Amino acid sequence: MSVKRDRAERLADEELMPLVGEKDPEAFEVFYDRHGGVAYSLAYRIVGERGAAEDVTQEAFISIWRSGARFDPTRGSVRSWLLSVVRNRAIDFLRSKAGKAPKLAFDDDAILEQRAAEELTEDVAMQRETASEVRGVLGQLPGEQSKVIQLAYFGGFSQSEIAQMLGVPLGTVKGRMRLGLEKIRGELAEGLA
Amino acid sequence: MTENHERWNDDVAAYMLGALDPAEAAELERHLEGCERCRERVRWLEPAVRMLPEEVERVEPPAPLRERVMAEVRADAAAASAAAGTTEREARSERKSPGWLRRLGGGALGWRPVVGLAVMVLALVAVAGYEIGNGGDEGGGPAQTFTAGKAPGVTAEMVAEGDGEGGTLQLANVHQLPEDQVLEAWVQRDGEVEPVPALFVPDREGNASTMIESMDGVEVVMVTYEPKGGSDAPTSKPIVTVPIQ
Repeated sequence: MSVKRDRAERLADEELMPLVGEKDPEAFEVFYDRHGGVAYSLAYRIVGERGAAEDVTQEAFISIWRSGARFDPTRGSVRSWLLSVVRNRAIDFLRSKAGKAPKLAFDDDAILEQRAAEELTEDVAMQRETASEVRGVLGQLPGEQSKVIQLAYFGGFSQSEIAQMLGVPLGTVKGRMRLGLEKIRGELAEGLA
Repeated sequence: MTENHERWNDDVAAYMLGALDPAEAAELERHLEGCERCRERVRWLEPAVRMLPEEVERVEPPAPLRERVMAEVRADAAAASAAAGTTEREARSERKSPGWLRRLGGGALGWRPVVGLAVMVLALVAVAGYEIGNGGDEGGGPAQTFTAGKAPGVTAEMVAEGDGEGGTLQLANVHQLPEDQVLEAWVQRDGEVEPVPALFVPDREGNASTMIESMDGVEVVMVTYEPKGGSDAPTSKPIVTVPIQ
């Protein structure tokens, strides 16, 4: 049984998911229209190629469609669930492209730039990194904390790989990740206060 | 105890960023099972990690991406609906039409046994590419060519002769079929999926084509593998999906 589009638009994501579980295309279409933009943007940020970002986004949405009934509302929002699916698939794409693990280079700046820069010149890519990636909460962190978080979250690198890349002890990477996340969390708490 | 939790605190942050190796992640997960303090820390940090994807610069997704996603979703829904065979819409259509919908019982029987096949076929789905180009102007109006898929997977080219007229669907890179299988094309109009009567098989080079009598109102053309003799409703996932604009 399909709900009408206008009715579906009035439902919260968490209310749409049971309908998606019942294979209601209109409910799913509303879900895509709400979150397709951010999902594609995240995929593109990670894989750096439009075609691959489309594939990743499509796979993520179809996997949600086919497993909509498995959404667990106690573990976060539907949107964060979707974005974690997109991130995992994008990282898997990078790993399959590079072999077993993401290509390990020793120039961390190049790593941060290379994926998004594929269709851009180096200068434009640098501008873009500066304008977009180091803004918001990440932009408020000390550079070394922002960098390890970006390499882990958007690059898919393990803490050991990041330590090797940056030429710093593993404990330093761990500490920077912890301090960076704590600072972001603190900023959010202040924003809510 | 405090020293131990300093160590776990660092690992929790790395874990939430997906930066632990599998063995380290498994060790932490075992620890989390018995440590409320660390579980609380995970819950506390979750909003910070959820912020990260929201920070990404927005890039507008291409419109054909939405069409491809929804075409696959609708094909899925049509297959599921055919399998259930209980929706009111189906009942209405069955009463009105003596054609393919009246034989939906076969589709319902056919769906469940092919779940395994559907999973296998999924790997072959090629719906990533999408282009539209004018193919010339002959007879009753400008012909249009719609393509989907990218080599080495199955690729499709749909040449529609003009508004409401027929068209030809041509596939390439189709693998050879067992004797008990055929290709069946489907058209979607107003959200309803209908079979194209002419079944077809690939030649030795993996090329295959079929005619679609009328393209009037067609939104999407799809092709599935079906048992010999064809099916009344799709019993497997599409190997190719061509959105028509």
